[in-house]
Amino acid sequence: MRRTPLALLNLTHDRKKFLTSMAGVAFAVLLMFLFTGFKNALYDSQTQLLSRLNGDVVIINRLKENMFVPRAFARRRLYQAQAFDGVEGAYAIYISDARWKNPDTRKTRPVRVIAYNPSDPVLPMPEVLARQQDLRLPNTALIDERSRAEVGPRETGVITELADREIRVVGTFSLGTDFASGNGNLIMSDQNFLRFFANRGPEEEERSFATADIGLLELAPGTEVDRLVSALRDGLPQDVLVLPMNGPEGFIARERTYWEENTNIGFVFSLLTTMGFVVGIILVYQILYTDVADHWSEYATLKAIGYDNAYLFGVVIQEAVILSVLGFIPGLLISNLFYNLGAAVTGLLFQMTLQRVVNIYIMTFIMCLISGAIAVRKVQRTDPAEVFGL
Amino acid sequence: MTAPSTTPSSPPVAAEASIQVRNLNYFFGKGDLRKQVLYDISLDLHPGQIVIMTGPSGSGKTTLLTLIGALRSATDGSLRVMGQELVGLGNRQLVEIRRNIGFIFQAHNLFESLTAAQNVEMAVELTGNFRGKRQQAVDILSQVGLAERADYKPAALSGGQKQRVAIARALVNQPQLILADEPTAALDKQSGRDVVTLMQHLAQEKGCTILMVTHDNRILDVADRIINLVDGRLESDESPQQFVDSHAPKSLDQKMFIM
Repeated sequence: MRRTPLALLNLTHDRKKFLTSMAGVAFAVLLMFLFTGFKNALYDSQTQLLSRLNGDVVIINRLKENMFVPRAFARRRLYQAQAFDGVEGAYAIYISDARWKNPDTRKTRPVRVIAYNPSDPVLPMPEVLARQQDLRLPNTALIDERSRAEVGPRETGVITELADREIRVVGTFSLGTDFASGNGNLIMSDQNFLRFFANRGPEEEERSFATADIGLLELAPGTEVDRLVSALRDGLPQDVLVLPMNGPEGFIARERTYWEENTNIGFVFSLLTTMGFVVGIILVYQILYTDVADHWSEYATLKAIGYDNAYLFGVVIQEAVILSVLGFIPGLLISNLFYNLGAAVTGLLFQMTLQRVVNIYIMTFIMCLISGAIAVRKVQRTDPAEVFGL
Repeated sequence: MTAPSTTPSSPPVAAEASIQVRNLNYFFGKGDLRKQVLYDISLDLHPGQIVIMTGPSGSGKTTLLTLIGALRSATDGSLRVMGQELVGLGNRQLVEIRRNIGFIFQAHNLFESLTAAQNVEMAVELTGNFRGKRQQAVDILSQVGLAERADYKPAALSGGQKQRVAIARALVNQPQLILADEPTAALDKQSGRDVVTLMQHLAQEKGCTILMVTHDNRILDVADRIINLVDGRLESDESPQQFVDSHAPKSLDQKMFIM
């Protein structure tokens, strides 16, 4: 037999009040999850295409500061790079925006077209590899099933227009949208890319195989990436930028850093998260203060019969901790639903990683502790002498 | 030390007084607002005695009770409770003293979230006895006639039953001193009578001292002594019969004490 679990019993005694309290904490948890979720989704989504690319080193135009900048580089740089020791393959990726006609509504929406030679292992996703032969047929493409709903049905067999030219969807893949992708993504072969974008009329940029948007270098096993990158930087003309794919100075990190440092996303969503945190403090403080106020004479009686302030402090803090755990669980579950919903509607990448769950729990815990520390002052000040003569 | 018998009707227990008050003065407030509420109180209470303290409101009864109960710190005079001088003690030591006193309040002050037994166990836990707390709680609850109500929450108990649980909580650690503040005020006549009879039995059985503040004339007869406090001064200290004689027929109906 241990101590009577006063904190737990006081919290759960009134079922209705307990559920309301839990809902309050869960709501604060939900707010924090949603706002950090949107922030992370916006950042994570910017790199979801990049992190799927199969290559160790990336070559881009020096002016292509981020994926949104449509600057191509001379493709011969790729051939030059191939001459370096340790470079096993060099693949060109062509990217362009084009108007996609929704076959149902007949409205056009911008989508991003990603093109490469289907024999190159650029995007080694199983559903893409399986469609290699179909992609070689003229006027075909794969559609991203996580494109936004505005593009219409995202399924095999759709026939519609891309850049005013008929296109046939021969398969789907799963990627998701980002700031540079418009309403969705298409994958097609380099030959089809030329068909669509070589002669788009006087106002549009003409594309050819002379330029590429992203160059991927595949390295021989055991090649040191950093050494090769500096060799390429020294050896190639200065119109291209050579970056490792991964690592803190890499292509993926650079893209993420660009959006982190050049948009207000971080500030806005951090502010909103902080507001969720403050709302949580107020809610939990209300809950705990009400408990203390409702049981004022009982707590004072405990003090009168010989319990010290430390014990009462412990009870209120325990209540805070119990609330943080019991409110967090439903908050997490509901947030998970919202993440899935958000991902489905926006095509953004909502990731509920363990690290993020732990972070939000720590915030919830601190939130409840702060509230508890404020509410506990009421009990600490309780004068047991006042219980007499009430 | 043998305390002089201060009252004609005190029982022949001449052991050390449980409470010994000497020239106690007490003030509320500070500076210009300082107001004296107790004047030169001297008093001895002996084990086994039930002492009722009466007096008009504002006479300082509750203040005296809280001083004896170590809920306030006295600064002037001498106040010995169960052999321990309280004047000049710090907060922490006062908390220790309080653990040896049973408190009964006008309101039962039971946690609605705890069962009767758990409410009593809260007091047992102060002694560090976790293993036997349930047994102790059930034992004392049976003594107050609530054995079969041990696992009921206060909401399922009547007013008298709740006050009996509160009494059980005050008694479970077998304190030598019980301080009660209007324990019957919230109860009907029969429940009030039951509660004081119970306290009377326990005082006799366990030999503890009970000091009770009450305005309830219906229960004056259980007292061995009645102390009357007026304007912070000890006005009289008599047996119930003397008290009735001196106050009747103006304010009291003597028939009340016959039952």
